[in-house]
Amino acid sequence: MEDKEKRPIPVMELKGVTKEYCLRDSFFSRGSTCVIAMNNVNLAIQKGEIFGLVGQSGSGKTTTGRLMVKLENPSKGVIKLNGEPLSNIQGKALKSYRSKVQMIFQDPYQSLNPHLSISETILEPLIVNKIGDAHSREQKVINTLDIVGLAPAREYYNRYPHQLSGGQRQRVAIARAIVLDPEFIVADEPTSMLDATIAIQLFKLLKQIRKKYNMAFLFITHNLAAAKYLCDRIAVIHNGVIVETGSTNVVIRYPQHPYTKKLIETHPGFNF
Amino acid sequence: MALLNVENLTVGYKTKTGLLKAVNDISFSIEQGRSLGFVGESGCGKTTIGMTLMGLLPENASILQGDIYFNGSNLAGLNDKQWRDFRGREISMIFQAAMNAMNPVIRVDEQIIEAIETHNPEMSKTDINEKVKTLFNMVDIPKDRLKDYPHQYSGGMKQRAIIAMALACNPRLIIADEPTTALDVIVQDQILKEIKKIQKELNTSVVFISHDIAVVADVCEDICVMYGGQIVEKGKREEVFKCPLHPYTKTLLASYLSLDSDANIKVPEIQKAPDLITFNGKCCFAGSCNCCTAKCKSHSPGWVNMSETHQAFCFEDTLKKDNNGR
Ligand SMILES: Nc1ncnc2c1ncn2[C@@H]1O[C@H](COP(=O)(O)OP(=O)(O)OP(=O)(O)O)[C@@H](O)[C@H]1O
Ligand SMILES: Nc1ncnc2c1ncn2[C@@H]1O[C@H](COP(=O)(O)OP(=O)(O)OP(=O)(O)O)[C@@H](O)[C@H]1O
Ligand SMILES: [Mg+2]
Ligand SMILES: [Mg+2]
Repeated sequence: MEDKEKRPIPVMELKGVTKEYCLRDSFFSRGSTCVIAMNNVNLAIQKGEIFGLVGQSGSGKTTTGRLMVKLENPSKGVIKLNGEPLSNIQGKALKSYRSKVQMIFQDPYQSLNPHLSISETILEPLIVNKIGDAHSREQKVINTLDIVGLAPAREYYNRYPHQLSGGQRQRVAIARAIVLDPEFIVADEPTSMLDATIAIQLFKLLKQIRKKYNMAFLFITHNLAAAKYLCDRIAVIHNGVIVETGSTNVVIRYPQHPYTKKLIETHPGFNF
Repeated sequence: MALLNVENLTVGYKTKTGLLKAVNDISFSIEQGRSLGFVGESGCGKTTIGMTLMGLLPENASILQGDIYFNGSNLAGLNDKQWRDFRGREISMIFQAAMNAMNPVIRVDEQIIEAIETHNPEMSKTDINEKVKTLFNMVDIPKDRLKDYPHQYSGGMKQRAIIAMALACNPRLIIADEPTTALDVIVQDQILKEIKKIQKELNTSVVFISHDIAVVADVCEDICVMYGGQIVEKGKREEVFKCPLHPYTKTLLASYLSLDSDANIKVPEIQKAPDLITFNGKCCFAGSCNCCTAKCKSHSPGWVNMSETHQAFCFEDTLKKDNNGR
């Protein structure tokens, strides 16, 4: 038995988490259909770890991320940040939580506010959290734009989301998430809109950020090659249930669950 | 004669900092029944090409130069009304992030019926209903899901409905802009098969836009690689992906992660995105190219031919240096 005292406290921990969505069939009927998006999920992510969550469309990946950043609450189970359960946090504590845990959303077409310019989008979290003065904030925004490859920053500073390509929007979303130097980031398919050269540079960037700030990530993807490159461990989720967890290399080399095997089989390659 | 022939097309956006040339002097053509793929960096102008071919450029954009011959007639000069008649009938487009573009409060079948009615006012109700059933059958959506609302569909089903809608008027050319990026690999695989099947069965031409080179390699017979608003390499897929010429194509292929890539794969340096406003006609990849010579900074590149079909927009010396260097 491992000594409980010696085990490091995970940054992010899910214990027996279940999330159910119930929809009324229609306005007039009393029946309802429920979808169990997550079923008794247990996960522990350590400081500095990049943890991959892999699964099919509709399997509950985004839901897991949304619960971690507390956009929603679990139907059952506990979520802990640095060992502290966050079921009842409110007000100031919630605000501080929100600055420590960030999410990069799957779809930059929906997640960026169309009325905010690029600079306003990235400034907003700094202003809300009262970080720095006008000058240092602007500098921070420019640096962050640089980091995510939107350079020269001045060319993008005053543009609006509709004036950017799909991939450029996603880079803005990433800039917004890292501008507060959070402890934990949920990255929901952050590179599915980006070409290979930029995707791999971002992976490298995430690795650097992780190393430098000891930041931890939940990396949601269905691209196993990306998971293999980036993640220390992965979990495979299927219909809301985690069916397989382990070190990335082991899971990819010796997949146990049929779904994992199928993912590996259908992975696109250059075979024409 | 080619179905579509684009010659020296340049498209610009007016922005606060100046005129941004998102598509710069590009030429390509596509035969009936063939598939042409565009790959390239995010922001290199792929969607802009699609929007131009559909006559759907936003207000701050305009065609600055060039001709677009479709089936012999030049689209570059059409007015709004002419575009409305033309669009959707001969060319249709599956838009990037189209899944979110379906109207959430209208049933899926009604959205398709509407698309057919707009272009075929003379068609009878029964014929239209028949047509809708055939289309859904073609994309494998069960009949009993026709009356659903879009949110009741999974991502993959929505995307197949969008494909059905794009096929509604038997177009001769379909432009598919990142049709599978939001989908998981298993659903993606189904959709790509669907697109290939339609191309074969209906002899439809396909322009396929994606940043994912493996996806483009799967679907397309001919490839254009773009960088900074220009086509930098074109050829048959075997030529471009097995014997890439242009330094950018090589970088792109080298960055592609496969299940066998090892963790020490060489990552290209963060490239300064090409500045499309101050662009001076020289090679826009020069700043990030590790074979760049003095000539690359002083002269405009030209087409270097490898075969009748395979060409790169570069300098012979640079290509040679690149080959020796690796
Ligand atoms: N607000 C909601 N109301 C009802 N059902 C929902 C809601 N959000 C998610 N679901 C359902 O929960 C399940 C899990 O959805 P989730 O978005 O977590 O999947 P995902 O793994 O992220 O899929 P994708 O790869 O397509 O993004 C799906 O069946 C979905 O339809
Ligand atoms: N409405 C607009 N106003 C100003 N600039 C624009 C506008 N739309 C696009 N651009 C710019 O034009 C360039 C080409 O954009 P486009 O959307 O064609 O790229 P793309 O190749 O489709 O990229 P992605 O793969 O990211 O979708 C980009 O630099 C983009 O910022
Ligand atoms: Mg999701
Ligand atoms: Mg695009």
